[in-house]
Amino acid sequence: MPVAGFQVSTINMDHNIPFSEERIWDLGLRLWRRAKAVMAGQSSSGWELAVNESGVLKGHEGAVLAVRFNGDGNYCLTCGKDRTLRLWNPHRGIHIKTYKSHAREVRDVHVTTDNAKLVSCGGDRQLFYWDVSSGRVIRKLRGHDSEVNSVKFNEYNAVVVSAGYDRSVRAFDCRSQSTEPIQIIDTFQDSVMSVHLTKTEIIAGCVDGTVRTFDIRMGRELVDQLGHPVNCISLSNDANCVLASCLDSTLRLLDRSTGELLQEYKGHKCKSYKMDCCLTNTDAHVVSGSEDGFIYFWDLVDASIVSSFRAHSSVVTSVSYHPKDVCMLTSSVDGTIKVWRK
Amino acid sequence: MHQFGPDPWICGLVRIQPQKIRNPFRVTKLYPKPVSSKRTNGQLTKQRSFLFFFPVVSSLPSSISPIFALVASAPICTVSSPLSMADVDEEDYVYFGTPIEREEEISSRKRKAIAEPGTLRSLPPWKQEVTDEEGRRRFHGAFTGGYSAGYYNTVGSKEGWTPQTFTSSRKNRAEVKKQNIYSFLDEDDLKDIGGNTLETSMQYDTFGFTAAEFARKKAEEEQKKRPSAIPGPAPDEIVLPASSSIGMRLLMKMGWRQGHSIKDSNAESLSEIRREARKAFMALSSNKAEPDISEKDADGTDEFPDMSIDVLRNSENTPVYVLNPKQDMYGLGYDPFKHAPEFRDSKRLRESKSRETKRSKVHMGSLLSSNSKKYAPGFGIGALEELDAEDEDIYASGFDYEQTEVELEPSKAVSSSSGDRMLQLEHKKRGSLLGFKLASDSDYKLERFYPPAIPSNFRPIHKFGAPLDQTLKNYNSVPPPDAPPPENTNLRLLIEGSAAMVARCGKSIEDLYMEKSKTNPLFLFLKSGAEGYDYYVRKLWENKQKFVDNLKPAEKLTAENRGRILGERPLASTTSRVNDVSVKAREVINTQSSHGDTVTKPISLADLPDSAIKQFKHDPAKQERFELFLKEKYQGGLRASGTRSSTSTSTMSEADRARERLDFEAAAEAIEKGKQTIQISAPSTDHTKDLLGFGEDRFVSSTLIENSETKLEETNVVYPKREQFEWRPSPILCKRFDLIDPYMGKPPPVPRPRSKMDSLIFLPEIFKSSNKEDAKSPIGNSLEASKSGLKEAEAEPSASEADVAPTSPKNVERPVDLYKAIFSDDSDDDEADAGPALNQALNPVKSSEGANKTLNRLVAGDFLESLGKELGLEVPPGSIPGPSLNANTVSLPEEQKSCKGGDDRDNTPFPKVKETKSKDYGSTVDSSREKKRSHSKHHRRRSRTPDLDPDSGSDSDSHRRHRSRSKKRHDRRDRSRSRDSESSDEAYMNRKERRKKHHSRHHEHKKKDYGDKYSDKKRRS
Repeated sequence: MPVAGFQVSTINMDHNIPFSEERIWDLGLRLWRRAKAVMAGQSSSGWELAVNESGVLKGHEGAVLAVRFNGDGNYCLTCGKDRTLRLWNPHRGIHIKTYKSHAREVRDVHVTTDNAKLVSCGGDRQLFYWDVSSGRVIRKLRGHDSEVNSVKFNEYNAVVVSAGYDRSVRAFDCRSQSTEPIQIIDTFQDSVMSVHLTKTEIIAGCVDGTVRTFDIRMGRELVDQLGHPVNCISLSNDANCVLASCLDSTLRLLDRSTGELLQEYKGHKCKSYKMDCCLTNTDAHVVSGSEDGFIYFWDLVDASIVSSFRAHSSVVTSVSYHPKDVCMLTSSVDGTIKVWRK
Repeated sequence: MHQFGPDPWICGLVRIQPQKIRNPFRVTKLYPKPVSSKRTNGQLTKQRSFLFFFPVVSSLPSSISPIFALVASAPICTVSSPLSMADVDEEDYVYFGTPIEREEEISSRKRKAIAEPGTLRSLPPWKQEVTDEEGRRRFHGAFTGGYSAGYYNTVGSKEGWTPQTFTSSRKNRAEVKKQNIYSFLDEDDLKDIGGNTLETSMQYDTFGFTAAEFARKKAEEEQKKRPSAIPGPAPDEIVLPASSSIGMRLLMKMGWRQGHSIKDSNAESLSEIRREARKAFMALSSNKAEPDISEKDADGTDEFPDMSIDVLRNSENTPVYVLNPKQDMYGLGYDPFKHAPEFRDSKRLRESKSRETKRSKVHMGSLLSSNSKKYAPGFGIGALEELDAEDEDIYASGFDYEQTEVELEPSKAVSSSSGDRMLQLEHKKRGSLLGFKLASDSDYKLERFYPPAIPSNFRPIHKFGAPLDQTLKNYNSVPPPDAPPPENTNLRLLIEGSAAMVARCGKSIEDLYMEKSKTNPLFLFLKSGAEGYDYYVRKLWENKQKFVDNLKPAEKLTAENRGRILGERPLASTTSRVNDVSVKAREVINTQSSHGDTVTKPISLADLPDSAIKQFKHDPAKQERFELFLKEKYQGGLRASGTRSSTSTSTMSEADRARERLDFEAAAEAIEKGKQTIQISAPSTDHTKDLLGFGEDRFVSSTLIENSETKLEETNVVYPKREQFEWRPSPILCKRFDLIDPYMGKPPPVPRPRSKMDSLIFLPEIFKSSNKEDAKSPIGNSLEASKSGLKEAEAEPSASEADVAPTSPKNVERPVDLYKAIFSDDSDDDEADAGPALNQALNPVKSSEGANKTLNRLVAGDFLESLGKELGLEVPPGSIPGPSLNANTVSLPEEQKSCKGGDDRDNTPFPKVKETKSKDYGSTVDSSREKKRSHSKHHRRRSRTPDLDPDSGSDSDSHRRHRSRSKKRHDRRDRSRSRDSESSDEAYMNRKERRKKHHSRHHEHKKKDYGDKYSDKKRRS
């Protein structure tokens, strides 16, 4: 199969390590990953990027701090400084519902795979566990000593894992009535910015410059030190790589199995704001916002900037890529959410 | 479609032909069709079944249903439709007649019984049978003459009485059977009783109540038996009682009709006669003169109005008079209003009022119709709620006599005396109680207060005379000359005090003091020219100034104010691009403030060169603000910054602040750039800073005291770097993730360190390696400066422990070489085993090579193999090892201790191999001795464990021995299981030892003899 955009020669130019045996193996590994990614998502449609604005969702008063597609990409959830969560149909541009209960700004939201429940977190130190249809808060999970930065459901929607400014990651049980955490991970040295879950692992990025993987099955903690404060982490769709956005305006792509640095992506500006980064649905490109309102697309393999354009008038706080289609959502401090298509 | 079969209850069949039926019921849509005609016993009985086709039932005109219901309730219904009876045509007739007998019903038995008596009589007596009229044998039994109560023709079965059974399932609900006397009687018994049943006689049913009720019941029963096409009970209007009372029948015969009053209808009858006569006359004369008819008609119409009035008047029915019906559920004779008759009247009044509103709906004829329910008083229901069964007034009587009572009130009122009537009317009007009268005049009067009259010259907007500032400025304008305080301290104090008073309270106090000064010589200073007057004036001015300053804190002397006062030139950037800059600046501020608490920036100020920070030296206030700004910007992290710089910059205007902010931003950026260049020249600062970020500096204040030596050392660290620790997920978390708890059955985790000291002492390896030379001193020193004595105290014993037992097992660095020495039988795949992913070395420079190699082979092996095959290359199979995990690292307790880091990570099942290259004392140990030691250890463990966990213990032991012989690869699970056999005290010991090791790292030279000592110790134990 002719793989579009394959440029083998450019892959290892960024490191001046001689072509040893390992290097070749490594190269093969990467090629394999790339080929896998290509075969998984991208067929003949080529490398299409969601770079054309197709809609604006307006309604938030003040900065929008996060935007998240739901599991199948038909709806999206946003949250912001106006202390509300909002449910949208971004494809039709419809605002469906507003969830109000937070007392402070809402920083992150996640929805279950069955779209029945929400969990959100923010400045008021608790997690809100919502019923989507009725809009009521089922439970308030207390437990963080400080602001909560990120929250996720696990695969079975039974556990909520949150990361907070109090240097801890906490897991809460959705099935019990208890509002106390079932596990507190406090090996972090600084504010935990972002958390992701796989079937067996909890992955968290922290301002102390580490990406920590807590493997529940193995009972071990892997600490990948990046040397720079990690602002946001994002998993590749095959979950083999983790993309870490560092506060030195660099995105770093790590191999999760070895902890090896696969690539660095530079060009945008990320120095002080909490911003999101992600990979596209095909794992072919890396997307991130910038503090100057730009959106940057990098090629995954050779780290060249494929596209960059001004999306918002202010800091792009969050990007979310559609799980299947070429569609992207961005949110900004300017209070708008924009829908991007090819 | 509905079929009316020839059922026995139908006394007559109705056959309706469309053309015969005229309008009253409009049954033109019915299409009767004869189905069959039956012949029984050779006679042609006019018995027919008809199919009534209802084309579309739902679209039928509502007038159809009367017909249908009428037929359905046939047995006691009279058909009041004007079907002509006189027609003789057989086919078109409505038959009234004999009830139909079903053929089945006419049992052969009966006929036999009827036929047999003659034949029976001829038989000998013992062969004769007594039968009842149904033909059943009457007597049975042994002697046949006896009377038997059971089985044959009475009750029960051959076995005797069968008890009643009761079954009820969810699908088939058993009905609750009501038993009465009749369910225990057979026909014979019933026949005996028959005549004695108490029944209502229709004969004297004067008002038709009973008959109507009866008819309705029958119809309902019928409805139940045969569900009709039109659901619901038959409407009352259709079901009319078949039989009317004798009186009614008589009246009818006399010309009375339902709904009319009974009275002398002479006039009516006279006019009737007259009309008849006229008709006859007209019929005769019609042939003769046509125009006459019109005349007569006109005449007739003239007459009509009278008649219609007459008819109207006559059609009113005489109200039914029922005296005091019992409507409540009180006991008989109980009168709740016995002692308060007034309330009874008021109650009745209330009721009659409510009834008046309903009156329009009430018809005298339909006494039975009221289906409306009474609802319990006192419980309001919402406007949107439906009336429910629960809302019914269960205490109200079931009867509703409203209609009968309607007419009572006025007649009663008429009958009562006029005075009473007046009273009643009055209290009806006023709503007061009976017996009470409204007072004609009362003392109570509503007092009204009118609003005050607004003066004509009033203006609703207030205007302040002069701005406050100006009056205040007056003070500023003429500062009185400074005057020396008077020598007399008492006087000075007095002057100062009074000046303060006057400044605060105003002129009036001064006047008061003036007054006083007339009598009191102490206050002489108030007079101008007197001693201390100048000083007083000066003090007064100062105090007033102070007061004004207090009023306007913003007016404090700020840097800019001072600059303005001193005649300094403002900064260049301020004037030119004020507008666009301020807009931009505001934007920046907005984003900053809206993001204020989500900003992350953990950079510290400490390492910034002094000159860089002191950019605004010439303006100390600004410099101060700038420093504050830098601090906030860099130290901020995610801290909420609500109160940021609100105090210091409050005097500045928005634009000024924004401008300054921009300046600061630019300056900060410049600083950062400078820093970066510094970094490039000496690549040191950034990494170390961040590294320290998770070591000391979260306990020390944000201004770090940097250790230059450590800085230099740590720059060697290459990122990214991977470390591995033990981590214990909680059991419930494993359960929720649907995973097996890797620590199932293991001893509970060690409690976390109490103090931060502990976590500091057991810093990760990086720090250890950097601080190796002076194990305690740098951390200890730096902490002693900032930490409390308690932590020191905790630190001390651990340190002393390390000193006391320096030769304690430093098992951390147990090299793999040592195991090689022990298990040196075969050495085939040692290399491959040495470095899988689990055993990531800490020193990536040295050991990542092997690890990466193996892992890459592992992961990419099969892919590359296939790739190679495709390309036609030969991939040597030997070079791609299978997914092997290391076997060397047997889970001996020593190794578990090798895991550095947090002290709760002591019992890791994932030993590290990174120490392999670091130490070489393994070579000094005699291999045979080591072997022995290991064996003895196994024995020891075996002897200890059975009571704990015999199975796993022995299991793991066998594994281990096996491994020690053949050095087979073991997977992780084996190792973790072998952990089961660890006793808890051993774990504790390990922990302790590990702790010591951390303290006495610098005593590493003593580790050489560790092996011996340890084995000795074990042997002793």
